[in-house]
Amino acid sequence: MIPIIGLLVGVIIGILVPYHIPTQYSPYIAIAILAALDSVFGGITASFQGKFNIKMFISGFFGNAILAAMLTYIGKKLDVDIYLAAIIVFGTRLFHNFAIIRRFLLNKYLKSDNI
Amino acid sequence: MRNFKAQIAIAFVCVILGVMISIQLKSVKRNDAVQSKQFQRADELQLELSKEKEKNENLYKQLLQYEKDLNSYEKQFSEKNVIAGALKQRLDQAEILSGLTAVEGKGVVAVLNDSKLKNEGSMAVDENYFVIHDEDILMVLNELADAGAEALSLNDERLIATSEIRCAGATVSVNNNRYSTPFTIKAIGNPDTLEAALNLRGGVVDILKQWGIEVSVKKSNKIFIPRYDGYINFEYAVPVKKGGGDQ
Repeated sequence: MIPIIGLLVGVIIGILVPYHIPTQYSPYIAIAILAALDSVFGGITASFQGKFNIKMFISGFFGNAILAAMLTYIGKKLDVDIYLAAIIVFGTRLFHNFAIIRRFLLNKYLKSDNI
Repeated sequence: MRNFKAQIAIAFVCVILGVMISIQLKSVKRNDAVQSKQFQRADELQLELSKEKEKNENLYKQLLQYEKDLNSYEKQFSEKNVIAGALKQRLDQAEILSGLTAVEGKGVVAVLNDSKLKNEGSMAVDENYFVIHDEDILMVLNELADAGAEALSLNDERLIATSEIRCAGATVSVNNNRYSTPFTIKAIGNPDTLEAALNLRGGVVDILKQWGIEVSVKKSNKIFIPRYDGYINFEYAVPVKKGGGDQ
């Protein structure tokens, strides 16, 4: 529940803040959003599995975001779309984590371990 | 307790995620708006341009009408008066010389086109040799002027004393209008002399043909050369008073 409240708070802050991102920095923010999404799903999965480690979580969030942004930057300089690598990895992991969460929730509510 | 900690940490990241998503959405929306505004601006300018063009056309029609009127007045006046008749003759000559009136007569038409020779393999040289340049056109025109051409035009653009022939990217700028190949040069004068001047052995046509540039020179009994349509405005040149001009 708290994460959803956090998300709402974040959206409201974002709307109220008068800043906007220039077009050329848009890809970095997009990649950073993906990294954050990946971290959130990873964190939820880990907490369901009881393996949540706050240091791992925070370092993973910032580390992934920075690495992805750097890849985007280097890719721009080299004219190779390296950020696609980040998109694919994050995307795959997103779905993978979502699958685990789904399984966990279904098990929990249906009270059956067969799924 | 541990789970609570996890939720707080995830909530923290969620706040950042939310801020980023909303700011990004705002930015994308705004950038799209800026882009569409630019398109809108282009549309407006296009419309303005076409309006101006229409206005220009109407004004040109009016100008032609005024000139017709002027001509008829001149004619009327010169028929009544001997001095005025002489002046009218001089005026007509000056108009031909300055390109302010359309002329017709015998002459030659020269058409220049880019080379179609294949430039490849080990013999390949600079592509530039195979296309027509402003200098090539100038060479031909100069030769025609030397051979006594009385009026010259390039792609129906009358050449006057202030006309430029200048390379403008892939085109050639003449009287501030741009033209690309083929270039049609019309010259009024003695057709035989003009043709001979171009076809001299080792002359202009020979030089251009070395690179395969297509030059065709045709004599014609009736060539029409239009008048100069541009704007004439002398800002710096002032006529010197007769008698006071000697240093």
